[in-house]
Parts: sequence; structure tokens; C-alpha cells
Amino acid sequence: MSPTAALVKAALNSNFGWSVIRHRLFIEKRDRWLVPLIALAVVGVVPTLVLYVRLLNAGFDMLKSIGQEKALLTLAILAGQLVILVFGLFYLIATFYFSTDLEYLISLPLKPSQIMLSKFAVVLVNEYLTIAPLILPILLVYGFRKPGKPDYWILMPLTYLLLPVIPLAAAGLAVIGMMRVVNIGRKKDLLIVIGSLVLIGAAFFLQFGLSRAAGTSSPDAQKIMAMIASPNGLVQSIGRRFPPSIWATRLLDDGLFSGAGLAGFILFAGLSVLLYGGLVAGAQRLFFGGLMGLSERSGVSGRRAKAVGKIRLTSGRHPVKAIFLREFRLMNRTPIFLLNGVLGVLMVPVIFALMPSSGSPGDDTSDIIRLITSAKPVTGALAMTIFMVLCATLSGVASSSFSREGHKFWISKAIPVDYRQQVLAKFLHSMAIAMLGIASATAVLVFRFHLGAGKWLPCLALALPVTAFLTCVNLAIDLARPLLDWISPQKAMKQNLNVLIAMLLDLGFLFLLGLAFLGLGKFGLSLTAVVSIMFGLALGLAGISCCFLLKFALRRYPSIEA
Amino acid sequence: MIEIDHVSKSYNKGAVRAVDDLTLTVPPGEIFGFLGPNGAGKTTTIKLIVGILKPDQGTIRIAGLDNQADALRTKAMTAYVPDEPEIYERLKGIEYLNFMGDVYGVSGRDRRERIGYWLEAFELSHAVASPIQTYSHGMRQKIILTAALMVRPRVLVLDEPMVGLDPRSSHLLKEAMREHCAKGGTLFFSTHIMEVAERLCDRLAIIHKGRLAACGTMAELRDQAKDKVSLENIFLELTES
Repeated sequence: MSPTAALVKAALNSNFGWSVIRHRLFIEKRDRWLVPLIALAVVGVVPTLVLYVRLLNAGFDMLKSIGQEKALLTLAILAGQLVILVFGLFYLIATFYFSTDLEYLISLPLKPSQIMLSKFAVVLVNEYLTIAPLILPILLVYGFRKPGKPDYWILMPLTYLLLPVIPLAAAGLAVIGMMRVVNIGRKKDLLIVIGSLVLIGAAFFLQFGLSRAAGTSSPDAQKIMAMIASPNGLVQSIGRRFPPSIWATRLLDDGLFSGAGLAGFILFAGLSVLLYGGLVAGAQRLFFGGLMGLSERSGVSGRRAKAVGKIRLTSGRHPVKAIFLREFRLMNRTPIFLLNGVLGVLMVPVIFALMPSSGSPGDDTSDIIRLITSAKPVTGALAMTIFMVLCATLSGVASSSFSREGHKFWISKAIPVDYRQQVLAKFLHSMAIAMLGIASATAVLVFRFHLGAGKWLPCLALALPVTAFLTCVNLAIDLARPLLDWISPQKAMKQNLNVLIAMLLDLGFLFLLGLAFLGLGKFGLSLTAVVSIMFGLALGLAGISCCFLLKFALRRYPSIEA
Repeated sequence: MIEIDHVSKSYNKGAVRAVDDLTLTVPPGEIFGFLGPNGAGKTTTIKLIVGILKPDQGTIRIAGLDNQADALRTKAMTAYVPDEPEIYERLKGIEYLNFMGDVYGVSGRDRRERIGYWLEAFELSHAVASPIQTYSHGMRQKIILTAALMVRPRVLVLDEPMVGLDPRSSHLLKEAMREHCAKGGTLFFSTHIMEVAERLCDRLAIIHKGRLAACGTMAELRDQAKDKVSLENIFLELTES
């Protein structure tokens, strides 16, 4: 096996943990309970997938009626590439520069491009899996609904394989360029900050772009007619700002044996190869330069040196407070944790708030939201509560709380602090972050949608115990099987199965909460009565789950082998 | 006192027996050295003593208390230094020391006096206000040692404590180990450095494939071996497969 192939194989194995999974399932014979759980999760996704396919079929019919069905392909490719461009940037930064195996890899007789390729392959395979549920159904529905093109089934997988290459290679070039040009090897956290600013900028750009697109779609009959009249009118309109989606559409729809299809293929594959080649060449020249600095820490500066007498020493701090502070500092000082945890809960409501803000002046969505909350108070209150809870809990802070300790978990096992106190400190920390999300969501409801205290205050009262309950559940999930063996902090939060399991359970619970809420509303109860009953229930659940969590900590902690 | 009584620990559902029916007693006032080849079960034994791992069988008592049933009390009187200095890199040195002081309940006065002494001794004062991620391997080892010595535990458990230390710090640590035992403390430490073990330890144990191969003073070990020249020779003879 060539060194590159061996490296890629090892990187994929290490990232997905195939050897570990095989060892655990077949040698140690543990974690077997995960197999039926994953099967159940897959089965659970089927209804959603069926709904999605139905929606796509309806979309196809609608587009076909105006002769614009190709636009479905353009939309799929554009959506997939945009998702990869935005989220791939972070992923690349984390994988290229934050993996702890990099210093070891540098010492091996490998070219920079080989190391970069192995890291790129990991991200690429992850992206195939990430976009599969979104993009593959579209490509399949299109293939089945527009028969008579047998080469489509050969070109479709090829297009899918090429799809992430352009955005990922472009993002990769930006990342290694940033790393080298700014020469921040010793301050790699800065890279994350820059990356996050780019991500936030991209998110705002997308929101404004979408809003503007919606704004410009105001009735202009002539334009619409002209667009529909041309067979590629809608395709051109959608893909104008990102031509690769048009090229891929031509390739898939016209096939390789037509001029347009061949040109599409040459352009689409050509740009992929060109950007990838650029990345490899860039890596050869720039990747090591950026990597070399990773081990060169800024060192202990003289300015920071303090006489022992002047060092701030604390005393008598309660262990819960000490552990809370530790959690607080470690989260705030680890950029990937901070961005996913804290910035996520703060920014999501803000991005949501911006969505309707740039429509036509007389068409402000806040008026519609105010109208809904007045006309259907129960539905409005439910929506606001769920909005608050989602902003508070979906960050993954609680469901990665133990995993984030990684190889340092031995400290938690060795210190003389009751496991219940340790879990309590983690609960308080997760709740503090969740409160930021609730506060941010409430601020959006108050300042953006101008909702009065009478509307949002009951929702806030209900959101608090629901969030406490879900925080306990999420902590219990991570405590049950913490992911302590990771080399990149990204894996502890973003690639942690516990975060996904917790998210699905949270959504399931919120669905049940919604059913109960609306059910009570249908009985003719007033909003105050509905909220009071639900508040009591949520408070009870929060109390029970908290007791369970503390008991579970006593049972589970001793058996976690750090 | 550390009493290890018929302790076994296995991994992979019994496929790998890391520690096999180990029985040992380490009385107070004695420097006890724990030797063994790589993978013999030294670190597993140490993790069992400090409560990071749970034994499959047997009991471990610290000062007469079962370290599983009375985990909090035994941990409060034990300080542990691991073989790999894996600590919170994003904390500053002083924040880590304060954290350990808080969880072990070290008073402000004692903290100031002991931290000041050990930081000066280990020449770490200039670095303590910096994040641990800026420290070298040896500096991380020293900050963990400072935390352990600040606590003044009754039982000190050190896993390969000399690795990464410069000769001066290594000398200081050996002095601290002697002083700890002179004051009646219990000390259990593992090492690969035969000279250190030979010169420093009052008693030694050699573990091989999870089982106790030998235990006693240097003189007693010499009596058990054919080649009585050095500890290295005794070690090699006892750990031959």
C-alpha cells in the first residue's frame, strides 16, 4: 500500500473508529445495545424521509408544469455546496490545525500534501454523509421521475462524489492561506475566531440574500414570464451567483453525449480538479509552514511573570463552585467549545430575527407573528416556548459535558469531591449557557417582534423548567457513554453521537409537549390554565430527572474508566 | 497505610488480566517502589489505589478505609501524580493549583505558603500566571507535583514521577519523598529507573504479567535471586518470560 493510501486509511479509521467499534462489538462484546438503537433511529427517520420525498415529488410536478423541473437539480446542488462551504470551513480548520496527531505526523517521512490529503479525505467523507439525507433524495426523485436517460444513473453518483470538492477545496485554500499569511501558528485560536467571523458573516449574507431574493420576487409579470419561457430560465436564475450548480445540472440533465452536458462536465469536473490541485500545491508550500508553529507556544512571557506574593490565591471555595468555574473557563477558552456552545445559543435567535427583517417595508413578519399570538394564544405561546427551549438546549453543551473532559477525566475521578456535586456543577454550568440562549430568544421576541410581557413572560416561566428537565436528560445521555477518547475538540462536540441522540430526544419530547399543550387548549382551558398545568408538569419532570441524574452519577461515575 | 488485598482487574471482559490477585501492604513512613516491565500492570494498580479504576475482585484500604466504600475520605487523604501530565491546558498554572486547593480544602494560608515554596523550588514562579498549554512536558509535571505536595496528603501515589524532570527538580522530588515518609506519610511510586529505586526505596515490589513476582527490601530481593549484583539483574531475572 502506498504511504498516501495507508495514511488516508489510518485517518479514516481513526476518525470513524472502525477498529474500535469492531473491537468493542466483537472482541470486548460491549456496546452491542447500540446496534438496535441505531437501527431504531434509522427506522425512525423513515417517516420523515417519506414526507420529504412526497414534498419533492410535489415540487417536481409543480416545476414540470411550467417546464422548469431541471431547477430541482440546480437547487439540490446549490444547497449542498453552500452547506458544505459554510460548515466545511470550521471542520477544515479543526481537522487541519487542531488534531493532536499533527505533530506526530509532521515527524514522519511524509509530504505536506499527503498529510493534508488524509485530513481532507476525512472531512470529505464526513460531508458525503452529512449532505446525503438532504441531497440524495432529490437526485433519486429526479432520476425516477424523468426516465429515458440511462446515463443519468452513471452521472448522478459521479456528480455526487464531485459535489463537495469545489466548496471544500475553496474553503481549504482559504484556511491554509489564512494560517500562513497571517502567520498565526502560535496563536491558532485566532484562526478559529477569524473562521467564526467568516461563518457569522456567511450566515448573515445567506439570510439577507434569501430575504432579498424573496423581496425581488414581487410581482413582475414580465420577468416571470420571460423566466418561464426559457427552458433554463429558473436554472439560470437560481444558479447565477454560483455557476457550478448550473454546470452540474446540464451534465445530469443533458448527459455526456450532448454539447451542453459535455461542457457542463468539463467545467464542473475541471473546476473541481483545478481547485483540488491548487489545494495540493498550496499545501505543499504553505501547510507545513502553518503547522510548524503549532508546537511553538507563545511561551511564558516576562510580562506575565508574577512574583509568588502577587499571585491571586483563593481559599475556601466550595467544590461545586470550583468545578463550575473550571467548566466555565475551559469552555470559554477552547474556541471550538465556545463557538459551538456559547456563540451558538446567542447567534441562532439573532439570525432567526434577521430573517424576516429585510422584506418589503409594509410586509413586516413581526406584525404577522403578533397577529398569530393574539388570534391563537395557545399556539402562539407554544411556539414561543419551543423557540426559547430550542435556543437553550440544542447547543450540545449538556450532552457533551463529560465528553469534553477527554483524557483529563482522571482528575474528576481522583479528586475528593462527591460525584453528585460534580454533576451538580455541570448542571449549573449547562443551565447558565442555556439561560443565555433563553435570554437571547426572549430579547428577539421583545425587541424584534415587539411582544408584550403578558405574552412572553408565561412562555419564559414554562421554558425554564422544560430546559432544566432537558438539561438533566442530556447530561444523563453523555454520562451514560462519555466520548473521552478524542484528538480534536471538534469530535467531542460536533461529532459526538451523544449530542445527536440528545437532540433527537429533545425534539421528540418537545413534540409530545406540543401535543399536550394543544390538547389542553382544545379542552377550552384558558392560556393561563394551560401554561400553569404544563409548568407544574415540567417542574415535576425537572425535579424527578434531577434526582435521577444525581443517583445515576453515583452509579455511573465509578465504572467510567479514565 | 495502603493495603491491597487479593485485587484483580481485567479488561476486555476478562480476556486481559492486568492485575492478578495482587496482595501488598505499604506501611506509613516507608518509601515503596513498584517496578515492572511495560504492560505489567503498574499503572493499573496505581489507578486502582487512587480510585480511578474499580477492582473486579479484592479490596484496597487506605488508612484502614475501603477505597470504594469510603471513596471520598480515602481520596481526601491521597494525592496522585499520573505518568502522563494530562491536565487542563486552558487553565493557568495558578488556576489549576487553586482548583486543586479548593477541592482538597487547603486553607488560604497553607496554600500561599506551600505553593510559594514549591513554585520557587521548581523554578516555576515565572510561569504560574501563564496558561498550562504554554508549558513544556517537565513544567506540566512540576505543576502537578506542586498541586500534590501542596495538599500534604497522608498517602502520596506517584506514577513514574521522575520522567521529564530536570536533575535539580528530580533531586528536590526525592528529598520531598523522603521528608513525606519521615513525617509518617505513606508513599507508593512506580519507576523504570533502577538506580533511583535501589537508592531511594525502603521496600520494593516487582510486578510481572499482573502478578507479584517479588516483594521486600533490597537485601530480601537479593536473597531471592541467583544473580545478586544489582537490582537491574534481579529485575531481569524475575521478569524473564
